Amino acid sequence: MLKTLEHFAAQCNANSRLRQMNRDWTRRIAIVATDRAQSFWLTSQEGVITAGEGPAVEPDLQIQAPYDIIQAIFSGAMSPTEPYNAGDLLVKGSQDDLMRLDIITLLIWGE
Amino acid sequence: MKHVVSVSLGSARRDHQTTAVILDQAVEIVRQGTDGDMERARQWIASLDGKVDVIGLGGIDRYLVVKSQRYEIRDAQKLAQAARHTPVVDGSGLKAVWEPHVIQQLVEMGLISPHQKVLLVSAMDRFGMAEAFYTMGFPTIAGDLIFASHIDYPIQSLGELEEFARKLLPDLIKMPFSMLYPTGSEQDHTVSNNAYGKYFNEADIIAGDFHFIRRYLPDQLQGKVIVTNTTTRDDRLLLEERHLQTLVTTTPFLDGRSFGTNVMEAALVAISGVRPEDNGWADVVMNAGLQWHVSRFEGAKGNASH
Repeated sequence: MLKTLEHFAAQCNANSRLRQMNRDWTRRIAIVATDRAQSFWLTSQEGVITAGEGPAVEPDLQIQAPYDIIQAIFSGAMSPTEPYNAGDLLVKGSQDDLMRLDIITLLIWGE
Repeated sequence: MKHVVSVSLGSARRDHQTTAVILDQAVEIVRQGTDGDMERARQWIASLDGKVDVIGLGGIDRYLVVKSQRYEIRDAQKLAQAARHTPVVDGSGLKAVWEPHVIQQLVEMGLISPHQKVLLVSAMDRFGMAEAFYTMGFPTIAGDLIFASHIDYPIQSLGELEEFARKLLPDLIKMPFSMLYPTGSEQDHTVSNNAYGKYFNEADIIAGDFHFIRRYLPDQLQGKVIVTNTTTRDDRLLLEERHLQTLVTTTPFLDGRSFGTNVMEAALVAISGVRPEDNGWADVVMNAGLQWHVSRFEGAKGNASH
């Protein structure tokens, strides 16, 4: 999973449009695989995304889902919308942040 | 007499009932708001099915049409499917034909000019207007990401708009509509001193959906032109207080009053029997005797329909 998240972060950081979009988006995102009790995190600061393993400190956004769904979302196999609508993806935080994550994944992998 | 009903997710305060003459035929028009209550709207549509000629969907887009690709918003699809017999329309077919025509006429009449900067607050719901601005050479910012998603990224070309639509819309249409657009009482909220004021300040022409415009409306609008859809009397007072120069409402005027695009589309479908997806729809719209409306404030007082 960490490799997937790091790859996601690298793709964001290599995309000048996403860096511009995220330049003012400072967030700590906690990602919890509910079926494996594993935690990961993403941070966004000045347009740069960083990934790591372990619990996030005072996260702005918490994402909880089974491991395979998280893996699918951050590898581009699935957008966050479908599992969110189905109740398989729980998000604690603002809808704007969820929407932004969705848009980021779609701009990397959409079409 | 034909009978159309517009079921809107907007405020019930704007409900009305009237009779209009369109294409030489009288049409009874009823508008009923549900204050953002999706389930109430669905039940109301189901109860009207088979009893009226056409149902309009207000306060929600069913279709977003970008180039030749049509994307159907899932929540709107569910509402439309509550009617099994009666056609349900949302005004997108009218906007696609009518709004580019209005922009063209505004240029021809010298009311706007392609050197002016345009802020189109949302373009994916009115691609025809966006295409008109971009192709006529207006420096145009499409604010879909800014105002609908709060991502400070201006879309600055038609090609980029089309790319974003291709990548984003197939997924975003599955989201709850309330995440994409203000509904019910959300429509009345305004945001003062917001971070997006710079886009309004830099624009000579502010265009697009009035709910987005009003929400982020700056205090001063001197010298600016707003090109939008339906505005209420209170909206017009607000714009005058903020010293707007010119207001153009593209929403068709008929018999001296303004109707929502879904209402007009419903009436045109009821009378002509032609649906927006049919050949001949553009001719129906262009031959219906529709008018747009211009109001001038700041000393150059006056109103005119064209």
